[in-house]
Amino acid sequence: MAHAKFPVEVLTPEGEVFAEEVEMISTRTGLGSIGILARHEPLLATLVPGELRIYRSQDEIVRFAAAEGYLQFIENRALLLVEEAIPPDQLDRPVLESKLSDARGVAERAQEGSEERASALRDIARYEAFLAIGQ
Amino acid sequence: MASQRDVRNRIGAVKNIQKITRAMEMVAAARLRRSEQRIEALRPYVGAIRRMTRDAAQAAGYVPSVPILAEHESLDAVGLLLVAGDRGLAGAFNSNIVRAGVTAGRDYVGESKKVLYFASGRRPASSLTFRGLEPTESFIGFTDRPAYADARTIAERLMAAYVDGEVDRVEVFYNHYISPMSQIVRRETLLPLAQATLLAEGEQESAQQQPEGLAIPGAEEAAKPRRINVEYEPDAEAVLKRLVPDYVKLSIYRALLESTASEHGARMTAMRNASQNAGDLIKDLTLEMNRARQAEITQEIMEVVAGAEGLG
Repeated sequence: MAHAKFPVEVLTPEGEVFAEEVEMISTRTGLGSIGILARHEPLLATLVPGELRIYRSQDEIVRFAAAEGYLQFIENRALLLVEEAIPPDQLDRPVLESKLSDARGVAERAQEGSEERASALRDIARYEAFLAIGQ
Repeated sequence: MASQRDVRNRIGAVKNIQKITRAMEMVAAARLRRSEQRIEALRPYVGAIRRMTRDAAQAAGYVPSVPILAEHESLDAVGLLLVAGDRGLAGAFNSNIVRAGVTAGRDYVGESKKVLYFASGRRPASSLTFRGLEPTESFIGFTDRPAYADARTIAERLMAAYVDGEVDRVEVFYNHYISPMSQIVRRETLLPLAQATLLAEGEQESAQQQPEGLAIPGAEEAAKPRRINVEYEPDAEAVLKRLVPDYVKLSIYRALLESTASEHGARMTAMRNASQNAGDLIKDLTLEMNRARQAEITQEIMEVVAGAEGLG
């Protein structure tokens, strides 16, 4: 069964990457996975790095590796603000792997409880999420 | 006087240089257009972040205490971020930043504060090292086309330095882009982040002049006040805490983009001047060559005449 469509806009600091009417979006918030259909409750959620799936229809899915961001759903429109949104086939695995190992090194050296360590852990989470999507 | 052949060689050399500077001017012009577009592309995102922040602050009823908003009790160490380019041949683009940063650093040292330099771009990094002011960290290899991820890396490093007490203030120096002909050095305080910046209206929104305390979902609905019960996940305060560091990242990203546009603009102008100078030089040299040729001809005629007279 086809679902009702609603407009979705995905914005990054580097520009708009997606703006269409779609049936459903699925992504990850700080509390877990979330699926959004038309006429969802008004919502503002923080997003953690992970796969953003946008369903144009049941079997036509646009996928992005999305970094940290926000999802706003108001008046039957979805606005996603994400720091990066990269099509999975454009992920550069060797670069991600080397950045991941750098971040792991920083996390190990940094003091427990320091902001330096917290920031390195965020990097690790992002690169791991991206590498998982790239597979 | 130089011989005809010497002058002809020099003209050839200058013409080659002119070809290179013309090509560089055109490359810089194309890149400048792209960097202007990227500054434009940032606006909608910044606008949306600002609206979200105002909405969340309204819903939470206050701005939570976040370490990067809190001023440190004493000012002992200052971090200076110098944003310039990886490459030269762009007029005073790089040296203006280094000069402004080093002057500010010297003032702080005069007040017996510790100064940590951070450099974005190979040029400021090597200039600092050359002056014996080794940068604490250099970020290089992206100034032609900075990505948001680059800004995030720099911002995370500086925020960690601030929160962990390595520095008590962070300032940034960058070239603010006005036109290809003019860029001005901007000096801004990044950290602590002023609370006013969070709730201030952005320049891009000032035209809309919405009333205080009302948020708008889009420009077309500017007149309509919004009173929707939005569910915050996890809650408005947590969302705000996530939004606050974004302002630092966006400020740095903006500085990187402005700096890149300024760099291409400055290079374009510098290369245009170089091409013009080469043109002037070619004109002068051509004149000199003609004079040399004329002198040679005159000389020959005189020799012929003198020879004929000698025979007669």
